[in-house]
Amino acid sequence: MNTNHQERARHLQAEELEALAIPGDHRLPARSSAHAAECDRCRRDVEELQTLHVLLQALTPLQPVVGFTDRVMQRVRLPLPWRVRVLQAVRKHQVATAAAFAGAAAAVGVGLVWIARYPELTPMTIAALLVQRSTTLMWSGVMEVGRFVYGSGIVETAQGVAGQLTLVTAFVAVATVTLIGLASLRIMLSLMDVDPALVTSHWQLRRRVRG
Amino acid sequence: MSYKEHSDQDLVRLCLKTDERAARELVERFERPVFSLVYRMVRDRELAEDLTQEVFVRTFNNLQRYDRSYKFSSWLFKIAYNLTVDHLRKKQVKTISMHGSPDAVTPERQQATSLSLESDEESPDAMVEARELAGYLEDAIARLRPEYRTAILLRHVEGRPYEEIADIMGVPLGTVKTYIFRARRELRDLLEDRWDGGDEE
Repeated sequence: MNTNHQERARHLQAEELEALAIPGDHRLPARSSAHAAECDRCRRDVEELQTLHVLLQALTPLQPVVGFTDRVMQRVRLPLPWRVRVLQAVRKHQVATAAAFAGAAAAVGVGLVWIARYPELTPMTIAALLVQRSTTLMWSGVMEVGRFVYGSGIVETAQGVAGQLTLVTAFVAVATVTLIGLASLRIMLSLMDVDPALVTSHWQLRRRVRG
Repeated sequence: MSYKEHSDQDLVRLCLKTDERAARELVERFERPVFSLVYRMVRDRELAEDLTQEVFVRTFNNLQRYDRSYKFSSWLFKIAYNLTVDHLRKKQVKTISMHGSPDAVTPERQQATSLSLESDEESPDAMVEARELAGYLEDAIARLRPEYRTAILLRHVEGRPYEEIADIMGVPLGTVKTYIFRARRELRDLLEDRWDGGDEE
């Protein structure tokens, strides 16, 4: 009883004053309102804080001059999505991009012809060949580059490359073209103003419906 | 769904996809509160507009660094606060008055930099009284230290919680409480005459 009386007699703390003065979702201890009702000093503090809050709330929100938004927007550079950056790079380096596409297409063509020559190949044999020949291919590549650099002539180099053409080369070419194809698809989607995320979510939705 | 109905986070997401209309909506949504805060810090309309413009430019240029677990408005106010305080430190702005920038040397410049208060709904007498009172209050706020000023404006004008203010100002929660407590006490002292006069009426 005595402790309760002492607790109630204690003047309000800053948080309690604010909870009483400013409407909001404050959790107000029951003793706070009881104390404020009895204590002149705390009641005056609450009233003062209330007045100050009302005055500050009533301050006119200031407005920048007309046309401010336009001026800001002229200076703002929004971050570009990766597909737009790719598109810009493609536009900037058109010759290099065309050369890369042509090279990839040629590699795919050669690879497909090569695969067609071995209809008996299964995925397992392909994998085994990949492991077996990757080291050889790497060194062959180095040798071919070296030969090219030392001026052995374009024809000789081409002959050398053709001589080293393996399943691995074909696989790498197919993978490269697949990646280029996917990138092209994204660029096309962006050109058509289609959000790739929507396409992805559409596929996910279809998968879920099927599941 | 119109852009006005989007949440701040949605608009940020659209901005990251280079949606200019989303960026425009964010600017329109926050230009008044940011400008108000910056203006009340520097008390020069032209300068406040330049700084506010810079706040938005920096915000959008660094949008990829924005941590979406925080409120966008907190991040924006944080940039505004840092930029304004940096400016005040560099320029060491001294006396501040509701009648215009301390740097204003001509009457035109004073007019351009002075605070304009708008009210369409009140009677002429009430308008004058409200304008006068608001003027005293603006003047009193201008006399506070920049830290106190920011804290009390964010708390009472923008209605931000203490934790958010601490985050915006980059100081501990206890410091924000102290700033706000002292700012209130100083405002009360600065407005004492008006306060007592108001009580008598």
